[in-house]
Amino acid sequence: MIRTPLRPLARVLEARDNGDDPALIEAENKRLRHEAMRDKARLRAEGRLLVLGAMFFCAFMTIGIRMGALASSEPEEPRAAVAGNPIIGQRSDIVDRNGRILATNLETHSLYAHPQDMVDPEFAAAELAHIFPELDEEKLLANFTGDRKFLWIRKQISPEQLQAVHDIGSPGLLFGPREMRLYPNGPIAAHILGGASYGREGVASAEVIGVAGVERFFDAYLRDPANEGAPLELSIDLTVQAASEQVLAGGMSIMNAKGATSVLMNIDTGEIISMVSLPDFDPNNRPPVLTTGDQSDSPLFNRAVQGVYELGSVFKIFTIAQAMDLNLVNPETLIDTTGPLTWGRFKIRDFRNYGPELTTTDIIVKSSNVGTARIANMIGADRQREFLNSLGFLEPTTVEMVEAPTGKPLLPRNWSEISTMTISYGHGLSSSPLHLAAGYASLLNGGTRVQPTLLRQDTVQTGDRVVREAVSTRSRDMLRQVVERGTASFGEVAGYKVGGKTGTADKPRERGGGYYDDKVIATFASVFPADDPQYVLIVTLDEPVESSGDEPRRTAGWTAVPVAAEMIRRVAPLLGMRPEVETLEPIGVTLTSN
Amino acid sequence: MSYLEYNTKYVPTGFRKLLYLNWPVIMLLIAVASFGFLMLFSVAGGSAQPWMEPQMERFAVGLALMLVVAMVPIWFWRNMSVVAYLVSIALLVAVEFVGVERNGSQRWLDLGFMDLQPSEMAKITMVMILAAYYDWLPAKKTSHPLYVLIPVFLIMLPTYFVLAQPDLGTSLLLVAGGGAMMFFAGVHWAYFATVILTGVSLVFAVFQSRGTPYQILQDYQYRRIDTFLDPANDPLGAGYHITQAKIAFGSGGWTGRGFMQGTQSRLNFLPEKHTDFIFTTLAEEFGFLGAMGLLTLYLLIILFCIVSAVNNRDRFASLLTLGIAMTFFLFFALNMAMVTGLAPVVGVPLPLVSYGGSAMLVLMVAFGLVQSAHVHRPR
Repeated sequence: MIRTPLRPLARVLEARDNGDDPALIEAENKRLRHEAMRDKARLRAEGRLLVLGAMFFCAFMTIGIRMGALASSEPEEPRAAVAGNPIIGQRSDIVDRNGRILATNLETHSLYAHPQDMVDPEFAAAELAHIFPELDEEKLLANFTGDRKFLWIRKQISPEQLQAVHDIGSPGLLFGPREMRLYPNGPIAAHILGGASYGREGVASAEVIGVAGVERFFDAYLRDPANEGAPLELSIDLTVQAASEQVLAGGMSIMNAKGATSVLMNIDTGEIISMVSLPDFDPNNRPPVLTTGDQSDSPLFNRAVQGVYELGSVFKIFTIAQAMDLNLVNPETLIDTTGPLTWGRFKIRDFRNYGPELTTTDIIVKSSNVGTARIANMIGADRQREFLNSLGFLEPTTVEMVEAPTGKPLLPRNWSEISTMTISYGHGLSSSPLHLAAGYASLLNGGTRVQPTLLRQDTVQTGDRVVREAVSTRSRDMLRQVVERGTASFGEVAGYKVGGKTGTADKPRERGGGYYDDKVIATFASVFPADDPQYVLIVTLDEPVESSGDEPRRTAGWTAVPVAAEMIRRVAPLLGMRPEVETLEPIGVTLTSN
Repeated sequence: MSYLEYNTKYVPTGFRKLLYLNWPVIMLLIAVASFGFLMLFSVAGGSAQPWMEPQMERFAVGLALMLVVAMVPIWFWRNMSVVAYLVSIALLVAVEFVGVERNGSQRWLDLGFMDLQPSEMAKITMVMILAAYYDWLPAKKTSHPLYVLIPVFLIMLPTYFVLAQPDLGTSLLLVAGGGAMMFFAGVHWAYFATVILTGVSLVFAVFQSRGTPYQILQDYQYRRIDTFLDPANDPLGAGYHITQAKIAFGSGGWTGRGFMQGTQSRLNFLPEKHTDFIFTTLAEEFGFLGAMGLLTLYLLIILFCIVSAVNNRDRFASLLTLGIAMTFFLFFALNMAMVTGLAPVVGVPLPLVSYGGSAMLVLMVAFGLVQSAHVHRPR
């Protein structure tokens, strides 16, 4: 670029000649250059503005043409929006082991209002109050004429109510589809199922979430749309569950108990066939959670899983079985049963004095605390603790319910020698009836550990070995003898060879130490048939009193055992078991064939 | 050249300034805002609450603010531009730490009486500082590489914070607005050509490499880009807004269904019906004619701003007016393109019509600057 000098020599000389100030020339040239530069910048700016203008014009045209094209198009709904169910991914059903429905869904409607769209709020309020008697007409009218834009009226309405509200004909009353969880069997298996409630709610749909039991435990599975159509199969048998509930409710009322629970478990698979806790509730309409008092008095409380009790003499069989497994005793060993057994400041007594010596079998049959405690002394604290741990008594059960971790056994703080002795006959260690069922099943099924489960299983559990198979068989024989000639004589059910052990434990006082003398937990832990065990049944009654005799009787033999026997009588045929009839020798009959 | 070099003796003073305002622009602004009030009244189901009344109040406050800003001489604003820029950067940083989060992005500062969106402010302060910069920079240095880097930095700084919020729409607007300012200021066209060519070839390379062994992005990233660019693939998911907006346009036809007769917005098919997607309500109720009417009003505002800028010999005032006009244009053009399905949905409101506080107030202040530039122009 050639630059014009600001002070060209020729012009400066010329100016000097004319007598002008040469500095003016410089100023003049500076101004000219400045103007030239400005004009150039201006020109460039104008060019750029032109580009900008062209861009604006293009944008205007593009948007205009696009709008024209859209305006002349036919409005078309996307096809996917029309077809299909508005509720995507229904919650899966829950069924029993035979596929019978325990929990399913029902499509209902919710009712809500847009007050600003209402033509005649007075009429609408009056009609609604007529259809739903629990609604207050004045309150409705106040809401309809106030500032509110949106109002829930009912979360669920029946088809009849839907039609009636529809007939009001108000454009401000609107319905939304809504899925509802339905338990068609009412209170049957209520504690196992738990219940469901609404999570996030909208007018188009509402989220159903499990709040307790398996509904909550398997919430993710049940909600997963991938599992739609694949119901959750439980191990429960609906008919057995219903029969158990009926028998237990009858027994609870005859024995004047304030609560009762039963667990029926398959001895090999660990499947829970029925599990009852009374009092119960209807999961379609869950009662509110207690805000005061003891939660264990609430019908929501699952005694079988959450309730931990000192279960008493039913534990003796574990002590005897371990002693036999360790070869410390055999069924015929004579044990010193002179009482009371004094240990420090503790005295262990028997219900009645059984004489100076009993065989190990008779300790179980007659339920001698003193004899059991002496055997426990031979075993020692560490081995006892380890054995009970192998049966699952030191940890919460792993059953598939959210409540399971709360059923945590209460253990002695210091597992001393006296603890060892009291635990040997079921005091000083609290566990749930479900723990007991699993412990009996593990001991009596041949001696391998089973874990309780609520899901249908197809295979036998192969857990760790707990005792030798021979010990398992001998334990069954002893339990059978308890029914044949011992404390559980009411437990005999013709043809089913019931074996079992009673347990009557005084209830500990809520405050202060010691035990009540007139409040007991009566338990009967049974197995049937004793020669080929298939099921374990635990029946526990809370504070039973049998008052048909001269004085009130509370021991398990008078209370829990008859109830359990009745239950076995009722459910064994339902389980497909045939009573075993003793075969007579065929006399004078010759079988021939031709 | 700066104001000091001009003879400013013809500049009006006192209340005489009111006579010299750019009245056509003010009238157009009121007309556009009135369109907005009508639409907000309609989408609320024929009710001034909850949107129209607060919007009117804010517009009134905005008009007052605009007049106040217009009364202050433009050279004061020029001297304030560095301060304004630094304040808006500080607010953007503050948002990062103490901002209120909504819909997954952190854009707002809770001031107690209102929520402030500093990214809205940054659009204007960025235009101000760029105008001041080019006013200060001698014209012949404009295309010097060093002096090109400085404004690039000035643009990238707020863009970085806005992108981190994350707010893709506003950061695009910032970059586009800033680039346009540099273009008006006369930066050599080769710079723009380089940037555009690089960008285009990069995008081209990314798409060409798809499916080859040299693929630049991962497969899922390509799928995301696909949905972003063509939401129609997913009419009930990402494309839901667009599908419903298109239905609204089609249902409006040429002359519309009539005021308050729109079904799409009235029946709640459209989310964001009172903010980003309000244009669809207008298109449905007033049809193609109504939509074009609003578009024309917007373009007239731009036109008056350009005329004012061209007639202004003060470089700062001229550049500022152009920059604000450009920002305004990008705003409504992007919104309309988005709503009509020409551009991906990035979340840009329709200026002066969409319901929203910060955006409207900031825009009115910006037009106050335009008015101030117009009133105090050297004559």
